[in-house]
Amino acid sequence: MQPDWTLTVVPSTQDESGRDAPLSELDDRRLVEVCLGGRVEAFDVIVERHQRAVYRLCSRFVRRHEDAADLTQEVFLRAYRGLRRFRGDATLTTWLYRIGVNVCLNQVSGRKMEETPLEDAPHLAAASDDPASSLARTQEGARVRAAVARLPRKQRATLILRVYQDLSHREIALALGTTVGAVKANFFHALGNLKKILAEEAMRKS
Amino acid sequence: MTHLSPDQIVDVAEGCAGGAAKAHAAECASCRARVESLVDAVRLAESDPQAEPSPLFWTHLAARIGEAVRRERVRAPFWRSWDRRLAPIGALAVLLMAAGIGLRMWPAPPAGVAPAQEAAAGDSAQAIFESAPDVEAADDPSWLLVSDLSAQVSVEEAEAAGALPQPGGAEKAMLQLDREERIELARLLREAIGTRAPASPPGPGA
Repeated sequence: MQPDWTLTVVPSTQDESGRDAPLSELDDRRLVEVCLGGRVEAFDVIVERHQRAVYRLCSRFVRRHEDAADLTQEVFLRAYRGLRRFRGDATLTTWLYRIGVNVCLNQVSGRKMEETPLEDAPHLAAASDDPASSLARTQEGARVRAAVARLPRKQRATLILRVYQDLSHREIALALGTTVGAVKANFFHALGNLKKILAEEAMRKS
Repeated sequence: MTHLSPDQIVDVAEGCAGGAAKAHAAECASCRARVESLVDAVRLAESDPQAEPSPLFWTHLAARIGEAVRRERVRAPFWRSWDRRLAPIGALAVLLMAAGIGLRMWPAPPAGVAPAQEAAAGDSAQAIFESAPDVEAADDPSWLLVSDLSAQVSVEEAEAAGALPQPGGAEKAMLQLDREERIELARLLREAIGTRAPASPPGPGA
């Protein structure tokens, strides 16, 4: 039987010994509580902790580094606005991915993507010392990226979350609001379509 | 023979399939080919490396998001930005309502009263007294009883009992009197100050 009362947890940053713990030592759920209690610095720690993952997700949907940074900011702003809706059923990372996928798919379909590959941006660190192999990898990467961009929305999101963000099928299901079976089926078809698109592209060029 | 479903192929490719699916993939060339094709597609997708921004970028991005979040925090919700614009309209509506209620509560002038006199009646309580027709003094026993009792009570005792009117109480009480009560009050006041109003409104030739 469910009680007809609710328990309100007053956010506190104190640890068991009663001393104030630094925000950076709190877990995500606690940071959310503290932030909802009015301390915006707690959200700074959330940003600090998750900005890399969110940026990497966004950078898979757009080519330009600036666009990826803009999308990352938009994801965190939406998360901040909707922080009360985070109930802790999933991890904060999964919740941010969910927002991220929605933001990216909506933004990317709403505007023309720039053709400059991320690797061409001068501020980005070079991944290899050998210029020839680096160029070959860059070209191959650009080809794959263009093919991924042509996938249907759900297949694209599933493939990005699985291959590049290394999320489990269950986490992807939570992030996309679907079932594990649907995620696996989407992943299967995404990979099949990716190979098909790349093969078609190779035939066209030859 | 039933071949493996897409999600079973994904499970086999990722090494987390059950015994039956694994055994089928080992025996069925078609399903094995699909599994190998999937593994090959994953390798292809992974050939697009993640470009890594410089370490300074993260500091800059976190600061930028922090600023955006703080701007979001101080921005008033839309209903608060609207209330200032709507305040004059609201005040006007309250005034109109008050005026409407006041007009409904105001006693209608007696039939045959000249319009000028009717207007004067609305100006002030004094105007009411002046325009009220004279009535015969009716020695109401209840009034006499109250008068006798109140004559025996000192001001100090009345104040201690909380029976003295509060500031503004007289005006408030005046507004709550009905027409008959106002006429009676006017008569009593005139009697107290020793003046008499004309028995009927002055005629045009008076």
